[in-house]
This record gives sequence, structure tokens and C-alpha cells, in this order.
Amino acid sequence: MMPVFSWASLSPALPELFLVMLGMVMVLAGLSQSEGAARSLCRVAIGGFALALMMLLGVNWDSAPVMNGMFVMDHFAGFMKLLILLGLMAAVALSVRYLEQEEIDRFEYPILIVFAGLGMMLMVSAHNLLAMYVGLELQSLSLYVLAAFRRNHSKSSEAGMKYFVLGALASGMLLFGASLVYGYTGALGFDAISHALAGGKAGAGLVIGLVFLLVGLAFKVSAVPFHMWTPDVYEGAPTSVTALFAIVPKIAAMGLLMRLLTEPFGSIMPEWQQVVWVLSLASMAVGAFAGLVQNNIKRLLAYSSIGNMGYALVGVAAGTASGMGAVILYLAIYMIMAAGTFGIVLSMRRGGRAYEDIEDLSGLSRTNPLMAWTLAFLMFSMSGIPPLAGFFGKLFIFQAAIASQFYVLAVLGVLCSVVAAYYYLRVIKVMFFDDPLDALDSDLGFSLRAVVFLSIAFVLFFIFSPDTLVETSRNAAAALFAG
Amino acid sequence: MIQVAAFYLFASVLTACALAVICARNPVHSVLFLIACFFSAAGLFVLLGAEFIALILVIVYVGAVAVLFLFVVMMLDISFQDLRRGAMQYVPLGLGIGLVLLVELFTLYRAWPERTPVITAESTAIENTEALGRIIYTDYLFAFQVSGLILFVAMIGAIVLTHRCRPDVRRQKVAEQNRRKPSDVLEIKKVSSGSGA
Amino acid sequence: MEILAVFTPLLGFLLAFLFGKQMGDRGAQFVTCAGMSVAAFVSVVLFFDVVFDSDPRTIQLATWMTAGDFSVNWALRVDQLAAVMICVVNIVSACVHFYSIGYMAHDSCRARFMSYLSLFTFAMLMLVTSDNLLQLFFGWEGVGVASYLLIGFWNHKHSANAAAVKAFIVNRMGDFGLALGVMSAFVIFGSVQFDAMFEKAPELAEVNFMFMGHSVHALTLICLLLFIGACGKSAQLGLHTWLPDAMEGPTPVSALIHAATMVTAGVFLVARMSPVFEYAPFALEVVTVVGALTAFVAATIGLTQFDIKRVIAYSTMSQLGYMFFALGVSAYGAAIFHLMTHAFFKALLFLGAGSVIHAMSDEQDMRNMGGIWKLIPTTYVLMWIGSLALAGIPFFAGYYSKDIILESAFAAHSGAGEFAYWMGIAAALMTAFYSWRLIFMTFHGAPRADEHVMAHVHESPPVMISSLIILATGAIFAGALFYEPFVAGDTGGHEGLQIISHEIEIEREVEAPVVEEEHEENIWNRFGFWGESLKVLPEHDTLAAAHHVPEWVKLLPTFMGVLGIFLAWVLYIKRAGVATRIAAVAGPLHRLFFHKWYFDELYETLFVRNAWRIGRAFSLKGDKQIIDGYGPDGIAAWSQRVASGIGRLQTGCLYHYAFAMVAGLFGIVTWFFLRAGF
Repeated sequence: MMPVFSWASLSPALPELFLVMLGMVMVLAGLSQSEGAARSLCRVAIGGFALALMMLLGVNWDSAPVMNGMFVMDHFAGFMKLLILLGLMAAVALSVRYLEQEEIDRFEYPILIVFAGLGMMLMVSAHNLLAMYVGLELQSLSLYVLAAFRRNHSKSSEAGMKYFVLGALASGMLLFGASLVYGYTGALGFDAISHALAGGKAGAGLVIGLVFLLVGLAFKVSAVPFHMWTPDVYEGAPTSVTALFAIVPKIAAMGLLMRLLTEPFGSIMPEWQQVVWVLSLASMAVGAFAGLVQNNIKRLLAYSSIGNMGYALVGVAAGTASGMGAVILYLAIYMIMAAGTFGIVLSMRRGGRAYEDIEDLSGLSRTNPLMAWTLAFLMFSMSGIPPLAGFFGKLFIFQAAIASQFYVLAVLGVLCSVVAAYYYLRVIKVMFFDDPLDALDSDLGFSLRAVVFLSIAFVLFFIFSPDTLVETSRNAAAALFAG
Repeated sequence: MIQVAAFYLFASVLTACALAVICARNPVHSVLFLIACFFSAAGLFVLLGAEFIALILVIVYVGAVAVLFLFVVMMLDISFQDLRRGAMQYVPLGLGIGLVLLVELFTLYRAWPERTPVITAESTAIENTEALGRIIYTDYLFAFQVSGLILFVAMIGAIVLTHRCRPDVRRQKVAEQNRRKPSDVLEIKKVSSGSGA
Repeated sequence: MEILAVFTPLLGFLLAFLFGKQMGDRGAQFVTCAGMSVAAFVSVVLFFDVVFDSDPRTIQLATWMTAGDFSVNWALRVDQLAAVMICVVNIVSACVHFYSIGYMAHDSCRARFMSYLSLFTFAMLMLVTSDNLLQLFFGWEGVGVASYLLIGFWNHKHSANAAAVKAFIVNRMGDFGLALGVMSAFVIFGSVQFDAMFEKAPELAEVNFMFMGHSVHALTLICLLLFIGACGKSAQLGLHTWLPDAMEGPTPVSALIHAATMVTAGVFLVARMSPVFEYAPFALEVVTVVGALTAFVAATIGLTQFDIKRVIAYSTMSQLGYMFFALGVSAYGAAIFHLMTHAFFKALLFLGAGSVIHAMSDEQDMRNMGGIWKLIPTTYVLMWIGSLALAGIPFFAGYYSKDIILESAFAAHSGAGEFAYWMGIAAALMTAFYSWRLIFMTFHGAPRADEHVMAHVHESPPVMISSLIILATGAIFAGALFYEPFVAGDTGGHEGLQIISHEIEIEREVEAPVVEEEHEENIWNRFGFWGESLKVLPEHDTLAAAHHVPEWVKLLPTFMGVLGIFLAWVLYIKRAGVATRIAAVAGPLHRLFFHKWYFDELYETLFVRNAWRIGRAFSLKGDKQIIDGYGPDGIAAWSQRVASGIGRLQTGCLYHYAFAMVAGLFGIVTWFFLRAGF
């Protein structure tokens, strides 16, 4: 007996459906317009994301899975999508001026971002291994293309290529894992898997299947040792795309990872905790140490993002609702800091040329004190110095780890963050104590200014009212443990 | 009995050809071995009673993908030998790791739960084409549609990365041609004798 | 009023230090001198207020810190003892401030100098007005810092820097003892507030303290530790080596810090802690012996020195020895009395010496002086007054105070007291001798300086001389004026007064019971004067006994003083040149004295060099190689290595990356297989 279809049953997916339509319309609009299509479509994309955001706020965040149980809209998904949409808006806002400056202002850019965003939203709502995979692929494919977007630039093409090939490998592993899980449980839906696992001891095949799934997702969150693509892609991709990479996809991948681990595989937590433990420690260590010798600020931020995902994984390893809540909060804070930081990186231009080395910031405090102070605060926040927002992210993560008795991980994590502080502080040192170079170009776009301003405002003033965000994160995480 | 024999035939050919794909020195040979792989896999699908998938495999992968590969390989002047040279030193390590991983995965099958039923089509009364159609457009509509989107993105991506507007290529622009008026392009000048235009 | 007396110097310091550039040297001088004048004036008023109305008081300013049982306040405890000290400090300091205007007129950093002087004064005032050991320690360290800054004030002189460092380090030794004393006092008494401690002291008189398996008499331990601190500040034998070197500082500094005030901090500390010391007889004996030895040794060294300021410095040390053995025989009043008179005449001597140095174009060696008394008559006269007071010639200040000290020592009838008396007598002889040696060498005889200098000899400006005159007044009259209130009055006497003590009211030779009202009104004897600020157990009351010693005991010091002057006259005027022959004959002895009993050399070989060696070993091996090597530097270098190692892994080759992924997957899968043994 087939369930009777009704349009109302699709309502939880309203924002996604809207984005699909938006993407299609944008393709048509882009084709019919020749000059300045990229700029206007970027604006359309921002508007569209804003509309989707409103729809998101309008839909029921407590609905049962729809589309044959493949799509779920709960508090967790809702909050993650909120972050994703905000991040996407920031990423597009940062891109507008950059695309024109680098002469890669083609209208496909916002379209690809829209589809990537759609993929991310499907990922965090996925409630079935198939849905998970297609969401992931939709997102990945868009990002591969974006990484290679500056196609007549060898580094960009190389970045796209590497990302694509390694991504394909990761997808292969993910699929293999999914097939193992399917083989051992006979189910693809998260509920069904969790049902199959309930009670009985997990078989070896299932654990190995989960390992493969984890590896596939670890690639997406760039956890060590599946991180190798990250520095190269961050460096090679156009900076606006790097900003996008740093801001949003990690949230989606991490969201998917959290849902996968807690909902279907919640009953074999001790097994996956070991894996996540190793991944997080390795990520923190590599992120901290490898960053020390980087000169390119994009590579530096790549290692920074690897390290930050390591910290986030600490919260995942804790395996508790408070741990996951801390991860969500951490991701939100990291996203905002990354947006601000990349805003500054994008404005490192002299005479119309982009500069990417840390040394290019020399003496920024004298040529452009406002920017220098902004970046300094962002760096302080990233290295987790109170009372800035970044400190609270780390604080809650390590609290959760300690509450779950992951003492070693917490201690090593703190040590890694000390090491990592070196390279954040080095940026500050270069800006404030080195001899000044020529002033940077000052014609920054309004949207970029707005993003940086909001970011720094958040970083500085988070301490005054952290409760809203903390509570929301907790609620979102609680949704994962409700079922 | 025949089925078992056929399974082992197809399976061993598949494995051997897959090995040959990565071992062959000549890239064209590799692609040809790949095609052989696809055929063997199609044979396995037939044995499972999934003739629709078997045929799709042959049509899509052999007919389109592999042939495309063949064209690409033959058109690009890439020395795969050079590309591999660096990689060869890692072969022992890679082989070692691969072997151990393989053994580990094989041991997994010891733990295969006996009671898990083999998934088959709901009823033999319907052909598997129809059966596939029924679930793809109902239960798995979501995945199917998103797959469509993926292909769409792939298409956009391909165009973005390869399509170039060459200024020297002349195209026919119908609307422009229709809009054209003599006054736009023609200038009539009075040429006095004895001096040029 | 109390606040005015204590904090105006601080205000002066802050203004002169922070705004010295803006207000200029004149402004800084004005601010600090005005501050000191106000403070000096107020302190005199305060003195009368406290002493004549017998109205000791404590003013709570703020809570400093509270930790569990441990609670310390900022407070000004102004009792009679503190009032005397405030007066001495403020008056001498004010004189020195004014004197400095003239003396430092040619210096380029006058504002800084004046501000340091005020800072020192403030710290000293904090020390003497504290009502707990911790605040005292604060003041103690404060004067240490100010002293360091002032000794090394001429920081372009290498020797000045070395002297400053030496003073600081030697004082650290003492301070360490003091800090330990404060801590053990807290352990024993459970408080560092004076009132609480003094109240408990009698109960704890028999308490022993287990320390490393040994049972130690608690109060003795505390007292000895505190005394080590006092030794450091007051340059008692053993920790005295810094004082002569400290003469590298400008002369006003020597006068203020190293004669009149700071070095008396140790005396003050023991006097302040008298209610505790009284119950630690062994500690008192140690104090007596150390004081006596100091008095003697310093005097012998003083005989042989040629630097005019060093002679006075050793004389200071010797006089401090007097004060300490007075403390040791429980004659606290006498000690403070001598402290006060000494402050006046020693400041006078120093400033006079400074005046000479000033006149001689910064010449300090007496061998290059002589024959200048006609050129600078005022200074000459003032130096005479100071020396007369120092030598204890009758009716000058020193006579009263020194005599009562010696009498008390004799009257103690203890071995230590006896020893101290004879040492004191010997020292008195030498004191007189070297004082006049100084005067004769400096002012009389043939001029030994070159003509250029001699032509330049001039009397100091009035601003310097006027301060000298104030001090001279003190040096002449302070003794006679304060003899009665400070030390007079004895229990056996007709007045029938007795010592105030809370718990033990033992009356000796009781003729009349104590009448409280009587001695509250009568401040013209020591009981009424000191009130409860000093405490002497009846059986220790040597001051009372001192009034009943044989006549020869009383006369001997004076006789010795006169004899010393006569000898000096014989050796340096009558038969000039005999002195060198005597020095040659008594070669080894002379060398011993001249080389300051080889203390510096001893310390150099025993401590300084070994400390250097150990320090170098720790610094090079321990710090640089082990701690830095494996610590910060090592970790940093290791981090860099790790980082570049990871960097090398990042080859850029696609198959490396893919391989890393597969290897990672392999690792995790293998881990599960090994662990679970599937």
C-alpha cells in the first residue's frame, strides 16, 4: 500500500525546494544576460539564501522524516541549515568584488554555490545512507568545480583536479562502507540501521563498514590523515572559493558526521569513539605543527581549519549531548571567525594584485591600523584567548571532553592549541612589529566590509550574551539524542 | 551448476582484467581491459537476474564512457610511463598494505550473518525494468531527483571548466541579423572625382 | 595629621617623579622640600600630641589582604616609639632635602634625585608606622629599593653601580632572615599584627617549635631570624660590608640613609619587637655580643681609613653596634635615645664632610686635604660640634646617650653585658681618636691638595649651611633635653614607678605601689614617655640599674673620649709622622684594620666566587642546556622540525595523498582487527 502523496508532506523541505528552483532560474537568467551577470546573480543568490533562511525559520523544526524517511527536519538540521545559509551568504558577499578583480566573474559561480549549498542542506537533513551520499556528491561536485574555477590558472586547475580525484577516492570508500553496512544490517535508513543494531552486538563487518563511512566523511571535514588535499586546494583555489571552503562545507560535513554517529550508530559508540579520538588528536597535532612553517596565509588557514576540525572532533569523541552541543557552538564560532579572517585576506591587494603571503601584512598596523587590529582580534580569538569568542568555543569543547573523561585528549588538545597560538601570534607580530610595506588598496566592497564588521563584532561581544547561542546549540544537539 | 561455473568464469575474468587495467603499459590496452571488465560485470548482473542493469552497464559504460576514455587517451599526448615512474618506488609498500587490507576484508565474510536473506525483486511476475521503475519513481524519488541535480551540476561544471568564448569564431546571431538595418552599416558618400574616398 | 606626616613625602615623590620634566628641577626641589617641611612640622606636632597626651593611636587605612586566618591591614600605628622615629626621620630628611638643593646643584638629574629622597622617606615612614610585620616588611623593602636607587644614583660610575648591587644583595640576606622571621611569627602567633603578637608573647614564652626534628625555642627562633634582618639593614658584623661601599652614593644620601635613618631600621625593629625579645633571653645575648663586636671592629677599621666618608661610615657602624648592645641588655630606651642623638650628629658629620668634599672639588681622600680650616670656618666649627657629640664629650648629645648605654651594659651584670661594656669603652677611645684624626687631617697641617683645588676652596652656600646648623643644634641639645624622658627614672628611685606589663606585675624593691595616673601625667621619665610602646621585663631593667653603677663606670667613657682626642693631637699635630711609623711597627695589625678585617676578601672567596661558579654552572648547564635546551628552545626547535617534517609529507603529489588516505584507512581497520581479533 503506497502512502498517498500530498504536497504538504514536502513542506519540511521547503527551503531546499526553493533553492532548486532558484538554481534553475539563475541558470536561465545567467544565459539570457551577457554583461555583469555574475554580479547581479550573486546578489540574487544572497537574496535567495535570505529567503530560504526565512522559509527555514517558517517550517516546522520538529517534523517526522519525509520522502520515504530519507529527509528529516529536526532541531539539529534546522540550526545547522541556519548556519549554512548564513555562511553561504557571507561567502557570496565576500566573493562579489573579488570575482571582478580577478576577472573570473562568470555567472556560473553563484549558481554552483547555490547547488553546493543545497547539497549541504541535504546532507544535514539526510536520514538515509542513499540520501546522505547524493547530498554529499551534490555538494562535492559543485565544490570541485569551484576549486578549479579560475581555469586558466594552473594552480587552480591543479587544486580542482586533486580535490576531485581524492574526493572520488573518499566517495568510493564511503560507498564501500555504506554497502558493508547495508550488507550487515539489510537497511539503508538511519532508523532501520539503528533498529537493527539495537540489542545485538555489532559485528565486525558493521564496524569496518562504519570505519569506511567515517573515513569518507573524515575526508570532507579534512581530518588527518585524510586532510592532504586541504592545504593544496586552499592555496590553489581562488581566494573567494577558499573562503567558502573554510566557512561552510565543514559545517555540513560535521553535521552529517554527528548525525550518522549518533542516530544510526549511537549504540556502538565505544567503537567509533576510538576512531574519532585518533582523528581528532592527529588533526589537532598536524594542524598545530604544520602551520608553524607556512608562509602563505591561505595555507596557514588551511592548517588552522584542520586543527579546528580536530578540536571539533574532540567534542564529537565525547559522544554526549553536551559534547555535540559544544561542537555545534564551536562550528558556529569558527565559521564567523573564518568569514572575518578571509574578508581580510581577500582585501590583501596592492595595485590591483592579490597578495597571499604573511609577510605581505608587514607593518599593517601603521598603514591600515583598523584592519590590523581587526585581524589581530580575529587571530587572538582563533588562538582561543579570552574573552574573545574563540575561547568559549574551545572551553565548551574541552569541558565536554573532560566530562566524558577524555583527559588525555583534552590535555593534548590544549597543548596543541598552545603550539597553534604561535602562528596566529606570528601574524600579529608581522603586522605590528615588522617594517611597513606599501599600503593595501583601500577600495573594499560594502559587502566585504559588512561581513568583516559583523564577524569582529561577534568575536568581541559574544561574551556579553553567549547564552542564546549556547542554548540553541544545546537544543540542536539534544535533537540528535532524542530518538 | 552452470550458473556456478559461469559465476566463477565471469568473476575471475573480471578480476584478471581489473588487474590488467592497472598493469598494462599501454593506456589504450588499459581501456580495452576496462571494457572487458564491464562486460564481465554485466555477465554477473545477468546471473543475478538483473538484466536491465547488465544492459545499462554495457550501453552506458562500454558504449559511452569507455569509448570516451579511449578517445581521450588516444588524443592526449601523455606519457603514462613518466607519470608512473615516481610511483613505482611505492609499489612494494602499496602492495603490502593493499594485501593486508584485502585479507582483513576477506575475513569479514566469516562474520557474514547467515540469516540475512538475499534481497530479490518483490515478485518475478514483473520484469526488473518495471520493478526498478516502480521504486525509483516512488520510494527513491528523492535520491533519484538529487542524482539528476548532480548530473546537472556536472554538466554546468564541464561547461564552466572547458567552454571558452573564442572571439575569432564567427557565429550566426539571428536576432542581430534581423535587427540590422542598412542605416547601421552603410554609409553613402559622395566621391568627388580625382580624390579618394 | 598622621596621614599628612606620612604621605606628604609620597606625594612629593609622585609629583617630582612623574612630572619632573614638566616642572623642572626648581619645581621638583620645591615640591619635595615643601612636602618634607610639612611632614617635619606635622611630625613635631604629632610628637607632642602623642607623647605629651600619652595618646598612642592606630589609624586603619585599608585592608591589604585577607587569606583564611591571614589578614593584614594598611595602618598607621603611631605610638611613642613611632612618634620619635617619625620625628627623627622627617626632621633629618627635611634637612637633607634642603642640603641637597645646594649639594646637587651641578647635577643633571636633580628632579630624579629629589624624588628618590622623598620615596625613601615615605618608605621609612611606612616602616616605622606599621602596625604589623608585613607592612613593616613592605617599608623595609621600600627603603631597600630607594637605597639601591640612591647609592647607584651616579649610574655612570661603575663603582657606584657595584656598590648599589652589593648593598642590595647583602641586604637580601638580611631580608631573607626577616621574611623567615615574619613567616615563623605567623606560624607561632597566628597573626602578624603587633598587638596580637605582643599579647600572646608571654603565653608562648615556653613554647618550642619543631624544626627538622629539632626542638627550638620558638620565640628565640623568631627573634634571631628578625635579628638577622636587622643585622642586614643596620650593618652589623657579618652583613656590614655593604655600608662602607654605599658611600659611593651622593653625600646627602649617605647622611640620610646610611647614617641617620635607614640603618637604624634594625634598631627600630628590635625595639618594636621588644615585647617578644624580652621572652627570648638567648636572642638578647646574641644581640648584645654582635653589637659589641660590631662597635669594636668598626672602630678599629675606622682608625686606618683615609676616605673621609668611609671613616664616618665605620663610625656609624660602630655607633650602631652601641645601639644593638643597648638593645641586647634591654635598655631599649637608651638605644632609641642614642639612635636619635646619633641621627643628628652623624647627619651633621656627613653633611659637614659633604661640605668639605664640595669645597675640595669632590676630593674624598683625607691625605689630599689639610689646612683648610681658615677657608671654611663654619664647616670647621660644625664638624667640631659633630665630633664632640660623637666622642661623647660632656654636655653634647652623644655624651648622654653613649654613657647611658655603657652604664646599662655594665649594669646588666651578665657576661655579655660586661663584654659589651669593655668593648664599648675601647671603641669610645678609638672613636674619639679617629674623629680627631679626621679633623686634624682634613683641616689642619699643611695643605696637601694642589693649588688649583686650594684656590677653589669655598664655603658652602647658605642653603647647605642652614641645614647643618639645624642639625648642629640637635647635636648639641638633643641629649640634654631628652635624657630625662628617654631613659631617666628607675624603679628603685624615689618616684616609685614601675614598668608596665600586662601579665606580670612583679615589683622589685617595692616602696610604693604603682600609681597609674601618676606616670601618665609625668612624661619626664621613661615610663611615662614610652608608655606601652617599649616593654622591659622587671628583671631586665638595666636602665634602672644603670643609674646606680659606680662612679668610675660613668666617668670612664668621658675619660676615654678625652684621651682619644689627646692621642690624636699628639700623633697628627704635635708629632706628625709618628702615626705612619706606628702603623709600620704594628704592621700586621694595621693591615688587618686597614683591610677591614679582610671581610670583603673572605666573602669574595667564600661566597661570591662560589656563588658565581654555581650560578654559572646553573646558568650554562642547568638553564641553557637542560631547561632551555629541552624546554622552550628544545620544544620550539622540535616543533619546527616536526612542522617541516609534516611539510615534507605535503609533497603535492596526488598519489602520495591518496596513499596517505589508504594508509590511514588501513591503520584504523587493522587497529580494529588487532584489538577485537575478529
